[in-house]
Amino acid sequence: MRHGGIARLIDVFAMNIETDDVSIARRKLVIHDAAMIAGLSLATVLLFMATLFLFRSFESHRSELAIRWSSRGRVALAAGHPEQAIGALRTALTYAPANREYELLLAEALDKAGHTDESYNYFLGLWTAQPGDGAINLWLARLEAKRGDSAAAAKYYRASIYGTWNGDGAARRRDVRLELARYLLDHKDDDAARTELLIAGGNNPGDPALEMTLGALLEQANDPADAFVYYRKVIAAQPKNAPALAAAGRLAFAAARFKEARRLLGRADREFDDANTKEPEDLTELLKNVDRALAIAPFKTLPVRERAARTVAARETARKRFADCSLQVAQSGGSPSSLQVLSTAWAAKAANADERMLLRNPDAEDATIKLIFDTELQTMQACGPPSGDDALLLLLAQSPNALDQ
Amino acid sequence: MDTEPVITKEVKPGARWPGPAEAARIAPGREERLFLLLSIFIGVISGLLVVAFRMAIEWLHVLLLGSSPAPGQHRLLIMPALAGVLIALLTRYLFPNVRGSGINQTKAAFYIHNGYISTRTVIGKFLLSALAIGSGHSLGPEDPSLQIGAGVASFISRKMGMSKAKLRIFAPVGAAAGLAAAFNAPISAILFVIEEVIGQWSAAVLGSIVLSAVSSVVVARWFWGTEPMFRIPAVNLRDPRELIAYAVLGVVGGFASLLFARSLGYLRPLLRRQPTWSQLGQPALAGLMVGAIGYFGFPQVMGAGYEAIDQAMHSQFAWKMLLVLALFKILATTLSFSSGTPGGMFAPTLFVGAMLGAGVGAFEKIYFPHVTGSLGSYALVGMGVLFAGFLRAPLTSVFMVLEVSGNYSIVIPVILANTIAYLIGRTLQPVPIFEMMTHQDGLYLPSMEEQREESNLHLEDAMRPLDVPVLQAAGTIDDAARELAAHGGLKDVSVALVRYPSGLWYAAKRDELAAILANPAGEQQSAGLSLGDRLGGERTPLLFPDLPLDSVLPYFERWPLLPVSNRAVRGAVEGVISLDDVLNRYRRR
Repeated sequence: MRHGGIARLIDVFAMNIETDDVSIARRKLVIHDAAMIAGLSLATVLLFMATLFLFRSFESHRSELAIRWSSRGRVALAAGHPEQAIGALRTALTYAPANREYELLLAEALDKAGHTDESYNYFLGLWTAQPGDGAINLWLARLEAKRGDSAAAAKYYRASIYGTWNGDGAARRRDVRLELARYLLDHKDDDAARTELLIAGGNNPGDPALEMTLGALLEQANDPADAFVYYRKVIAAQPKNAPALAAAGRLAFAAARFKEARRLLGRADREFDDANTKEPEDLTELLKNVDRALAIAPFKTLPVRERAARTVAARETARKRFADCSLQVAQSGGSPSSLQVLSTAWAAKAANADERMLLRNPDAEDATIKLIFDTELQTMQACGPPSGDDALLLLLAQSPNALDQ
Repeated sequence: MDTEPVITKEVKPGARWPGPAEAARIAPGREERLFLLLSIFIGVISGLLVVAFRMAIEWLHVLLLGSSPAPGQHRLLIMPALAGVLIALLTRYLFPNVRGSGINQTKAAFYIHNGYISTRTVIGKFLLSALAIGSGHSLGPEDPSLQIGAGVASFISRKMGMSKAKLRIFAPVGAAAGLAAAFNAPISAILFVIEEVIGQWSAAVLGSIVLSAVSSVVVARWFWGTEPMFRIPAVNLRDPRELIAYAVLGVVGGFASLLFARSLGYLRPLLRRQPTWSQLGQPALAGLMVGAIGYFGFPQVMGAGYEAIDQAMHSQFAWKMLLVLALFKILATTLSFSSGTPGGMFAPTLFVGAMLGAGVGAFEKIYFPHVTGSLGSYALVGMGVLFAGFLRAPLTSVFMVLEVSGNYSIVIPVILANTIAYLIGRTLQPVPIFEMMTHQDGLYLPSMEEQREESNLHLEDAMRPLDVPVLQAAGTIDDAARELAAHGGLKDVSVALVRYPSGLWYAAKRDELAAILANPAGEQQSAGLSLGDRLGGERTPLLFPDLPLDSVLPYFERWPLLPVSNRAVRGAVEGVISLDDVLNRYRRR
């Protein structure tokens, strides 16, 4: 019994020793693992800091290289050497990948070097990443215009107008809209061009330089009335703007508003002389024509006797025009029905009324003027535009209220 | 192949450290707990090293070849050759295990050396690969990154005192981290390591591989940003008829892969057979020839070539130029790699694929204008095609393109073209490139391709219908005797199955049954005992038809026959299986 108790005590003691050994080993293991993890963490932090330091130096060096090569590319592009610029800009992009400015320059260089498809694909890649970018859409519009896809070009132009621009967004949008208008004019889409021009004018009030441009473009879009409005705005802001005066005078002349045209062209002539700048080549001729028109036109505001005399003179001019045109048509073997109707009118008694008859009968005078105008309009269609006094009478014929001035 | 020396001795990190075996005894779950934590450390450190590796390559590139290499620059001829001399000397005398890409070396570490990759090898791989690629040798940084990652994993796990089994598993964990950081594509890296290094899916390893790969990519992206290695252009497939064009790309890519593999298969062993002194000159000669390609007009083929891939993707080369670049890249890479210069095959493969893809796309666009896919789409698919045809990693090839492009609309062209290229490569070049190289080096590592295509056998492939007597455990001995008599008596029955009410089974041999029938009352002379009472508490293991066939082998030491149960109906038997059945099934394979 006593021996059994001692044996149990020894067993318990041995178990305790063993438990202590395991416990110590476990503790060592925990310390070992904790030390290793701490060491690993420290090594990671040190490695991270070293990598970061090297990376910053590396990035700085790459940035320098990118700037150096992009500058070379820019210079080459400006000097008209797009192929050299392509090489330099590609190198710059190697050191600054996805740098938008360099990418745009490279695409531009590709375009200028004649690599239209490459340039187009390049821009398309940029567009995929930034579909709302104004500059990228503008380049794509130009490239589509070169490729002949007018619908796509107009689409990209409009996307460019409504896209995002850095800094001078309003001015860039206005320029793009003008470029779109010019593109539409080149493609004979006058109505669309006119709409874009009027929007551009509405968005940018009080800019005489722009208004001059708009006036010129609206003239091209066959909208002389709106063009005249813009020239008037320029003259209101800058009364001594000789080109605006000349342009407005030219439009007034074309609209047979000869008195206004005389005033505007006269001022333009003086301003050109005062500024000692070269005046338009046709200004002197225009002034002569205006003076002549004012001298022959049977304005309603003239004294009745003078008006009758001018009407008779104009009738003779028209008669000669009719005779020449009829002969021309007969020689070419044609006989337009409109000229036959005119022939009947010229053969009538009223077509031969003298000045006194016209003075007595205002209705006969109006009928004579109508015959003159009909003759000028019909002969223009049959025989082409006239010259000299006939051309001035034609201008009056095309403007129904021209004689009221 | 130069591989690590076999390590047989136990690695002991510290004197006071109890050792892996003792640690496993006193703290059984320790390794599993550390495994995931160490995976993160491996990922982070591998990511940092790969970032440094890429920086080293680019720095050396600028330093040696200038900031804008162009044809006609003499340094293009001189620098790769001089670097070749230095690489040859260092490889010969200081870092003997750094030749090659790094993938086979990692596989060898995994299968032969218990995951051991020496620190010297990691340092050598880092320095010499960076020098080789930076000086213009036509090699890539991805495969060395993979080995660097595996080396980091090996170092950390050794220092932590992990067991041999765990040391082995850590190698692919690090490999995935290294590749993921180099490629900035974690999914592709994980798939590649599973497809090419370990060869099988394992839930235990997968978690750690994912963790390390993601950690390394997070680190790499912290430095480089989230941008992919090349800008991915718009990718689209508008007209299904265009699949024909992609199929043509698959065919062209398949034959290009064949050309690439055959070139390497011819030149590499030829150069390795040369005398030792001449092997010292091979990297320099290869560098001179690659430099000559750059000097005389094609500097794009020098180095990894990512810029050229980017340019090809954005239609900046004509189709003839693209095809010429692809051919010269195959030549340059064959020269660089065969000369023993350390560096990878990934980047050259992607380069050749991108050039071929863009070239085929550009050609088709000229002659078949209705083709609407962008050249970028073709280049991207081309990269996948070469990956499938040359590296023979079909799964990775598909996911790589999807991951890099982030666009799933390209998946059908990718699968179509890759499958065609893979089948051409598989048919005309039965041995994949990595396997061919290990054979050339006298090693026989497991074929990942064969493993992938191997069909695993299951119990249902070997089991036979129930053809032995079934006795009820709850019945009496007399009932059992009657049942056996119905089957011709004990002389005709070698084994019988005994069914228990719980749905479990016992397989009783003839001797056992004979003993019970001879003495129905048993040793305790208790009358009325059931058959189950006489057989004791042991039961056959619960087996199901879908279990792997080899999983049943250990049980035949105890049981002559095993019932295969139905998973849905407890106690129902679908068939039985014996050791002979299993062996016969394997013999028929």
